[in-house]
Amino acid sequence: MELHFNDIEAADPVVDFHRFVLIFSHGFTSRIRFMGELELEHAVVEGLEEKGEIELEQAYLDFLITRAFNARAGMVLMPVGLINERHEPPVFQGVERPFVDTVIIPTTWFDPGVGVHGEVGRGFRYRAYLTTPLNAFEFSADEGIRNGRQQGSNARARNPAVTGRAEFVGVPGLTVGASAWTGRSTSDVPSIDVRVSVAEADARYHRDRVELRGEFAHVSIGDAARLNRTIELQTGVSPNVAEALRGFYGEASYRVWAAGPSKDVVTFVRYENFDTQFRMPAGFLPLKQFDRDAWVAGATYYPDPDVAVKIDYVWQRNQSAVIKAPNSFNVGLGWWF
Amino acid sequence: MKRSFAPSIAALVLTCATIPVAGHTQASTRRVITVVAERFSFTPSEITIDAGEAVDLHLKSDDTAHGFRIAGVVNATVPKRGHDPLVVTVGPLTPGRYSFECSRICGAGHHFMRGVLIVRDKAGASR
Repeated sequence: MELHFNDIEAADPVVDFHRFVLIFSHGFTSRIRFMGELELEHAVVEGLEEKGEIELEQAYLDFLITRAFNARAGMVLMPVGLINERHEPPVFQGVERPFVDTVIIPTTWFDPGVGVHGEVGRGFRYRAYLTTPLNAFEFSADEGIRNGRQQGSNARARNPAVTGRAEFVGVPGLTVGASAWTGRSTSDVPSIDVRVSVAEADARYHRDRVELRGEFAHVSIGDAARLNRTIELQTGVSPNVAEALRGFYGEASYRVWAAGPSKDVVTFVRYENFDTQFRMPAGFLPLKQFDRDAWVAGATYYPDPDVAVKIDYVWQRNQSAVIKAPNSFNVGLGWWF
Repeated sequence: MKRSFAPSIAALVLTCATIPVAGHTQASTRRVITVVAERFSFTPSEITIDAGEAVDLHLKSDDTAHGFRIAGVVNATVPKRGHDPLVVTVGPLTPGRYSFECSRICGAGHHFMRGVLIVRDKAGASR
């Protein structure tokens, strides 16, 4: 659950019950398990996504075969990045998720799929899924591929996509991972079935009071010029989609008060660089307001390990000489049980 | 007359050595293996013991409460971060591979939290 207060420069402050999540699980047998995650975003659903939405983020069956090889089918989270599969509010710093995990990796990224996962020993594990593709008709200059997620809602499946992640968790406190996603997009217009690929690497390490995190993500969109021209013919407006998007961040956090439950405070600072116009196709100029970076600094108080009271300030900049990126002050309350 | 303290010291040492200290005397004879639970992994996720050996698993969490279940052997709740570790004595067991898993839903990746306890026979095989 996440309740936010966002005071963004040049806008009215808002209070938003951002996420209300229900998780369900059932074991048919010891080897056949169900997991479901239903999320209500922005508190109210009135038919338009701008108001709120209900998302079925997970609903899959696991067929547990061996430690190294198991099968999974249903609505699955794409195994890409630090946040997408591990998004409970007490486990990340900052009121909002990192920008890189929002506009480069479109967290929360879920689609129907079938695949395998397992642990091959010594802390190495993997997952790989065949899934439905993105809809390139919905790509944009500012949010990249984010609006192209089909989310299992009558998802066009003409071109399957594949995704996978390899991860090492064999040393206490350390997680190192690399992820990939690739597939030809699908839409009503077959001529814009361009290939989209995401490559990502991340690491997370914590010891005693210190935690360090880093993530790098790169998205490539094939034949973005044809995509832009085709959409312009259909809608009258070119979306100015880039052929490459890139983002990375580094974060350091320190537990300044570590006296046990209810006496637990973490401070953090994060630098993010994210550009959804990183490389443009020939004939298209980048919109520099979408070449952004941000410093985020704040603190989280844990009255309980599953309850997080968060506060942060975001200094955001872009490369535009005309349009200023807004700074923001944010307060959040997150909990999980 | 010079008094010797040697017999008294020897008696004191012997006495102290045989006084059981609650909660420690038994544990000190068993190997201790610390297992850290965190969304969504156990570290280590592979534990090897010998047949006939009993070990103390010190189960601690880096975040929320997790479960630790080995079917037919143990099913316990690992307390949240900041609490003392849960100590579970496992064994002796017959040689083989025993899967363990988180038995308390802990988030989106709960089903990834699995591991294996390998019990070797004296020849080093786990069957």
